[in-house]
Amino acid sequence: MGAAEESSALSRRSFAFAAGGAAVMLGLGTLKFVPTRPICRPPGGQDEDSFLGACLRCERCREICPQNVIVPAHLEQGILNVRTPTMNFKEGWCDFCEEANAGIPLCEGVCPTKALRLVPDFKPEEVVIGKAVINRNWCLGWLLKGCKKCFEVCPYEAIEMEQLEGLGNYNNSDYQRPHVIEDKCNGCGLCENRCPSMMNSSLTEGATDRAITVHAVTIQGD
Amino acid sequence: MKKLKANNLRAIVILGVVLVIAVGYFNLVGIGNLSDFGWGLISTICPLGFVETLLASKLLIPRAVISFFAVVAIVIVLGRVFCAWVCPVPLLQRWFPGSRKQQEKRIAEALPDAEALPAATEALPDAEALPAVDLLDEPSGDLPVQAALMPAETKLKLKSAAKPKLKGAAKPNNFKLDSRHVVLGGALLSTAIFGFPVFCLVCPVGLTFASVLFLMRLFAFGETTWTILVFPLVLVLELVFFRKWCKTICPLGALMSLISGLNKTFRPSIDNSRCIKTAQGVNCSACSAVCAENIDIRNPKTSQSSLNNCTKCRNCSDICPAHAISFPFLKGKQKTED
Repeated sequence: MGAAEESSALSRRSFAFAAGGAAVMLGLGTLKFVPTRPICRPPGGQDEDSFLGACLRCERCREICPQNVIVPAHLEQGILNVRTPTMNFKEGWCDFCEEANAGIPLCEGVCPTKALRLVPDFKPEEVVIGKAVINRNWCLGWLLKGCKKCFEVCPYEAIEMEQLEGLGNYNNSDYQRPHVIEDKCNGCGLCENRCPSMMNSSLTEGATDRAITVHAVTIQGD
Repeated sequence: MKKLKANNLRAIVILGVVLVIAVGYFNLVGIGNLSDFGWGLISTICPLGFVETLLASKLLIPRAVISFFAVVAIVIVLGRVFCAWVCPVPLLQRWFPGSRKQQEKRIAEALPDAEALPAATEALPDAEALPAVDLLDEPSGDLPVQAALMPAETKLKLKSAAKPKLKGAAKPNNFKLDSRHVVLGGALLSTAIFGFPVFCLVCPVGLTFASVLFLMRLFAFGETTWTILVFPLVLVLELVFFRKWCKTICPLGALMSLISGLNKTFRPSIDNSRCIKTAQGVNCSACSAVCAENIDIRNPKTSQSSLNNCTKCRNCSDICPAHAISFPFLKGKQKTED
């Protein structure tokens, strides 16, 4: 069949559908340029561009996660991100499946298109899901109320307690403030998961979230 | 009107698929949804999603390739069976008010008159005794008798469509370009340019399953998001404004129709000795009127849509007043038309 004959098979009506549909597809592509704040991805999905190119939104990583930390992203987190996996550290945290699968993340294994991709001998410390940030208005520790939950639970020793000088007894733990050591934090989310702020109710005035939260960092390229 | 048995059976199968996936959303097995459905390393992958992610990520993942070829194999053996028996979109469309009425009217016009029908079916010749060949003056499709019996509109279409193709080697399974293929091209081009699977954003199958997921999460965790309103809204808009989404827009169906050209099994076959049109010249075109894909299986050569678009929905078989249509594994010799 020649090209002319082929196109003559398209009636005017279906030509409108064809042209319109193809145009809409190209138009939808430009949604990529809508600015969106980066969101935390499961381990292996840290290169955002290649992640978004390969993710099928099949939900398998979310379903298999033994910690239930993977959740589907909402429209509010970016049009392109809807239905893609993101991390909700209020539900759980990422132990890289240490408990469930001897340290090999199940989500990365189940991903059919390798949108989540880790090097075989990866080290959890090097897979940066995000970085924890302390909210100094809400953090009980920072407000010198004696809380150091995050410091106690962090598996990577990425939180240090700063002893305030001139504020009484050197051994008094009430005079310590938590700091995140950025180089050591990989955003596993255990601190956010265990932070007592907003766990049952607001502990500090105005708090609407945990006092330590993990935020995604953008990494471009390999 | 005749009840379409397969219609109900299909609805049950589709709801079953939705149920299995919905249950899977809340256990730790990780079976996924139709984008990639399976257990462990064994899975089927959405063929369009596969091609899109291949273009966008430029990564050839062996496992995804195997899943893709599994889907290709299914399409070769069963044709576009996904479109009728798995995809929730046609079912959603059927639930829209008015959609059924239109179809019923079309079928009522295509069925033979009530007084002609009993006589015709009673006088049905014994299929064994009468070889199908004897009943045909000419190969079907080009019968002048048939043309005369057709409504004027169809005749006109037939005339214009038949002319250039009579001499050409137009096989019934020939590929015919339609708007879906252009949309598919646009989706793939856009994906290649912008580097993410573009059609997935608006795919009604994806939107359906995501709507189910977000609804379940709303009830399970009190998770509120605009997505839960926006997704069903987009889905409804797509299906309201494009009543014939499957036939005119769907690039997934288009991709599968390209593969289903290789499908030779379970194709609808008419027993000419039973068909009241070929056997008795009764004016009936119910099988073509009921076809959601606009395939005229009585006249494959002049059909608006080619046989590779058949989704094996079995509506033609159900509607046929003479029960002359079957879906044999391979077309038997005695039932061959031309």
